[in-house]
Amino acid sequence: MSKVLIIGYGNPLRSDDGFGWHASRLIARELTGHNADVITCHQLTPELAEPLSQCGRAVFVDADAEGEPGEIHWREIQPQAPSSSALTHTCSPAGLLSSAARLYGRCPQAVAVTVTAQSFDFGDSLTPFVSAALSKVVERVVQFACPDELRSESQGM
Amino acid sequence: MRKITIDAVTRIEGHAKVSIQLDDNGKVANTQLHMTQIRGFEKFTEGRPYYEMPSITARICGICPISHLLAASKACDAIMSVRIPETATLLREILHCGQVVQSHALSFFHLSAPDLLLGMDSDPASRNVLGLLEKFPDIARDGIALRKFGQQVIEGLAKERIHPSWVVPGGVNTPLDPAVRDKILSGLPDAKAIVRRTLKFFKGMLDQFKEEIEHFGNAPSMYAGLVDAAGKLQLYDGGIRFKDADGKIVADHVAGRDYRNFIGEAALANSYLKAPYFKPVGFPDGVYRVGPLARLNVAKNCGTSLADAEFTEFHQRLGKIVPGSFHFHYARLIEALYGLERMEALLNDPAVLGKQIRAHAGVNCLEGVGMIEAPRGILIHHYKVNEEGAITWANLIVATGHNNLAINRSIQQVAQHYVDGNHLQEGMLNRVSAVVRAYDPCFSCSTHASGQIAMHIQLFGAEGSLLDELKSA
Repeated sequence: MSKVLIIGYGNPLRSDDGFGWHASRLIARELTGHNADVITCHQLTPELAEPLSQCGRAVFVDADAEGEPGEIHWREIQPQAPSSSALTHTCSPAGLLSSAARLYGRCPQAVAVTVTAQSFDFGDSLTPFVSAALSKVVERVVQFACPDELRSESQGM
Repeated sequence: MRKITIDAVTRIEGHAKVSIQLDDNGKVANTQLHMTQIRGFEKFTEGRPYYEMPSITARICGICPISHLLAASKACDAIMSVRIPETATLLREILHCGQVVQSHALSFFHLSAPDLLLGMDSDPASRNVLGLLEKFPDIARDGIALRKFGQQVIEGLAKERIHPSWVVPGGVNTPLDPAVRDKILSGLPDAKAIVRRTLKFFKGMLDQFKEEIEHFGNAPSMYAGLVDAAGKLQLYDGGIRFKDADGKIVADHVAGRDYRNFIGEAALANSYLKAPYFKPVGFPDGVYRVGPLARLNVAKNCGTSLADAEFTEFHQRLGKIVPGSFHFHYARLIEALYGLERMEALLNDPAVLGKQIRAHAGVNCLEGVGMIEAPRGILIHHYKVNEEGAITWANLIVATGHNNLAINRSIQQVAQHYVDGNHLQEGMLNRVSAVVRAYDPCFSCSTHASGQIAMHIQLFGAEGSLLDELKSA
C-alpha cells in the first residue's frame, strides 16, 4: 500500500476553524505505526507540494463555511493550476496538487474532508455540532488511510 | 498637488501603505510609508512575570518568532544575572542559524524572486511564488527545499517550527539529541549547494537590473550591525558597530545595555512605526540601515570560508561600502551561506551535546536588555521588572523600525525616478513596492500591528482628489 499523507489545517484559536488541526492530531494517534504521515499546520503553503509528491494518496482536512454546522463533506480533488493571486498566503488543495505535479513530477490521488463550521470567533474549542463530527471524520479518514487493516479488525469481531 | 497611495504593499510581512504626493506637473514631490495598526505588546505585557516574555513576545511574529524568543530570553538572562551554559549558547545559536536560513529563503525565493525573475513589469496576477513555480520550477524547488531545511533545523531542536517553548530564560530546556545533530549535518551539503548555485545565478542577473540598482535606495546612510571583538559578523551575540556612509566606524562594540546612548526613537506622523536614529547625529539626519546589507557593510568578514569568499567578491564588485538597497538580496544570500556554515561549525563542536543546558536563578537585576541580529536586522528587547519579577516597562526596537527612515528615503528615490503621475502604470508602483520588499520588512513585528499582508497605492491630485489606486488582494 502506498503512503498516505493527511494534512489537517486551520487556526485552533478561531473556534471551528481549528477543526482540521484537532482532527489531524487525533488521526496521527490512530495511525501510529501505519504507512501514513500526518501534517498539522495553520494554513496550506507551497512547501507542502514536496511531501504531497511523495505519497500515493492524500487527505486534506479543513473547516468549511458552506452548509449546515456539523455537515461533513467528502470530495475528490483534482489538480488545478494555482489561481492567480497577488498574495502568496493562500494555497488551495487543488493548486498544491498541481504544484506537486509541476515541480516534482507526480501528485497523489487526493480527497478533501471538510466540516461546516458554526463559529470562527476567538476560542480554542469546537462548537458542539462540529465537535460531534470529529470522531466520524477521524474514523473515515483512518479507514481511507488503511482500509485493509480496519476491515480485518471488524471481520474478526 | 496630487497623491498616490499604495495600500497595501504586497509580499512583505505585515501591513503597510505608501502615499505618494505629486506636484502640479505630475512629478513626485513627497512620499511616506505608513503603518496604520498597532499591537501594543510593550504595554499589555506590563504586569506579566518576566519569564513569560519569551513565549509572549514570540507571538509577535509567525515568520521570525525565534528572533523574539532569543532576544527575550537574553533579556531575561540579564534580569537573572546569569551566564548561560556553553552548550545552551551553542544550541541557541544553531537554532538562530536555522531561523536566518529559512527567513532569508522566504524573502529571496518566495517574496522577491517573482520581481527578479518574472520581471517588475510582468503581469501582477502571476507575479508571485506560484508564477515562479510555473516558469522557473528549478528555482522554486530550491527555494522550497532551502526553507524546509531551515524549518527542519528549528523543528529538530525546538520540536516546533513556530512558537516553540524550547528556549527559556537561563538556556534551553532539553539537550540536543545526537540523531538530530547527525540529521542536520547530513542535510547541510545540499542546502549549501542550493545557496551557492542561487548566488551564481543571481550574480549573473545583476546586469539586468542596472537601473534598479542605481535608483533603489542608494542614498547615503549610516549602517549598524553586530560584530564580535575582532569585527567579524555576529548574528547571536556581539556589540553594535555603527559606520557612517563613507565606511568610517563612528561607534563600536556598543553593548545591548548601552543602546540608549546611541539610539534615539522618534515618532512619525501617520504611522505606528517608530523611527530610531543615531543619537549623536540626531533626528532625522541620523538615519541608518540594518539587516543583511548593513551587516556586510560593517563587518570585517564573516569568519566562514565560503561566505568569506562571497563577502570578498561582494565588496570587490560593489565597493567597500555598498549603498544600494537592491543589494540586500545579494547580501541575504551570502548570509544564508554563512548561516549554514556557522551551523555546521557549531554542530561539530563537542560541547554541543553537553547536558548542562540551563542556569536557574530568580530576579537579581531589575532591568535587562537582550539583543540579537534577527534576519532583518538588530532586535532589542529591554525590560524593567519589580522585585517580584513582574514587568513594569518594556521597549522593543525591531529591525524594520531601525530601517524606517531609510525605507522612507528609498521609497522617495524610487518614486521620483519611476512614477509619472500623468501616466500611471502598475510596473511603476510595483517598483515602489519592490524597494520596500528589498528591506524584507516585518511590520507585524515592528508595529506590533495585527493585520494582513497587503499593500495599497493611491494617487491623489493636486487638489487632493483620488485619481487612481492600486490594491492587492
